[in-house]
Amino acid sequence: MRRELSLSSIVRSEWIKFRTVRSTLVGVSITFVLTLGLGALVTSLVRAHWNSTNLANQLTFDPVGASLVGVIFAQFAVGVIGSLFITSEYTSGSMRTTLTSVPRRLELAFGKLIVLAASMFAIGEVAAFAAFLMGQAIFSGVVPTASLATGSVLRSVVLAGVYLTLLAAFAYSLGLILRQSAACISVFVSLLLVLPLILVFLPQSWQNDARRYLPAELGRAMTSTTTPPNDFGWVSALIILAAYVVVIFVVGTSMFIRRDA
Amino acid sequence: MIRVEHLTKRYGDTIAVDDLDFEVHPGVVTGFLGPNGSGKTTTMRVILGLDHPNKGRATVKGKPYAQIRDPLHQVGALLDAKAVHPGRTARNHLRALAASNRIPFSRVDEVLDFVGIAAVANKKVGDFSLGMSQRLGIAGAFLGDPEVLLFDEPVNGLDPEGIRWIRDFFRSLANEGRTVFVSSHLMSEMALTADQIIVIGRGKFITQGSVDTLTATAKGSVRVRAADHEKLRGALQARQGIVANLNDEALSVTELTAEQVGQIAFDAGIAVYELTPQRASLEDVFMDLTADAVEYGSSGVRREA
Repeated sequence: MRRELSLSSIVRSEWIKFRTVRSTLVGVSITFVLTLGLGALVTSLVRAHWNSTNLANQLTFDPVGASLVGVIFAQFAVGVIGSLFITSEYTSGSMRTTLTSVPRRLELAFGKLIVLAASMFAIGEVAAFAAFLMGQAIFSGVVPTASLATGSVLRSVVLAGVYLTLLAAFAYSLGLILRQSAACISVFVSLLLVLPLILVFLPQSWQNDARRYLPAELGRAMTSTTTPPNDFGWVSALIILAAYVVVIFVVGTSMFIRRDA
Repeated sequence: MIRVEHLTKRYGDTIAVDDLDFEVHPGVVTGFLGPNGSGKTTTMRVILGLDHPNKGRATVKGKPYAQIRDPLHQVGALLDAKAVHPGRTARNHLRALAASNRIPFSRVDEVLDFVGIAAVANKKVGDFSLGMSQRLGIAGAFLGDPEVLLFDEPVNGLDPEGIRWIRDFFRSLANEGRTVFVSSHLMSEMALTADQIIVIGRGKFITQGSVDTLTATAKGSVRVRAADHEKLRGALQARQGIVANLNDEALSVTELTAEQVGQIAFDAGIAVYELTPQRASLEDVFMDLTADAVEYGSSGVRREA
């Protein structure tokens, strides 16, 4: 019988670790509550006020974006899941046990990323499709609805799940660098919430240019069925966000390999 | 077999391990002894590839730990019993370890049973007492049935029954030809557990040997009770003996043998009532050897190891 370490045995081990802590379960539940709960709330409000909405707004209304509004909030939940997947190993000290069983740190960092990304992709897609279908069901009869048969609509919904996956991977990579749960979650939240506020103090022309590089704006571009002026198209947005993740992951992994555990 | 070759490890300005060089052989229990803060844990961390040395290297069965392809099958280690995620159950903790090294899950239940915590296998590790955590750590170390085992302060938190159990366990592992490396800051514990002892202080190698040779090389003392202690003290000091008063009205003499003390008393015409050579305990040897190397002596503020 083979008994050597491999990426697949590491993935199997990390999958057991991922699903056997409460924080994962709580994080996933919150992800669903936010995407579905806020989606239901917002779409119901739109429906209730539809007849008093002016024509211009009715014409530019995006039924896809409105139904996926909860995804923007679920990004914090997946960020916490991604952070804790690595930082809890440091706060509990279990990293020492982990590295004794898997001393190959590069493969370990990849194995964890695979488990996290695959899980979050599945969860993100289920949440995004559920929120979309629920939103359209709430709209139907009153507000114009979108159909998954339309290419750009299907792409928007799929990329909403991809967006959550990338943010979880981003938070995980930050965790490789920062190693502490509180520090990691604070930095992650700051990047998403505080950075846009700082941009307000920049000159207007810079603001327009810089704003579209923010993760949340990239997410909006990825999940929007249209491309407003001054925004990236969904392909560019996806590539830029993925590049952020790659850079942070490479930096984090090289620090993880070099440092004492 | 474990080899530590001219190992030096610094944390900032502090030298934790200073040019340490030794070997740990199979078939015996090797004790790794030193006061708190002397570098025992650091040495073990480097052996396990957790910390990178500044100089030198450590190998297990000829390889640096990070290059071992099936680590849990070769080496079992227990560094810190609390180094587990508190929210996971004991069984899931061990299953995750087992999966990484392709150990069948049936082995998890075997080791849980073996260390005597099968009844709490589905309880969260965070609710475990230190003694139960130690047993879980030993279960994890023994999961891959390894030939080399390292334990850092394994008796901490164990009850007397557990301490006895773990001593017998080490003994049986060594008898099976495995390499067993156990650290402790307690000399008395090592005297009972280990065959060979490596002593370090302030990160430096001090001495190495069997428990018997270490005590044999140490200076013993002679206890003597006589008719005139003042006169005898003078006579002994004249012959370079170092004399101390024992509280029960006897003298303790070092630097002289019992024969010499008897002869000196006879020559001085002092009646001797009692003359007993006192063999140094391993504890005395240890105190003697590490006297200069205690980093946090009782006069200073003590820091956690």
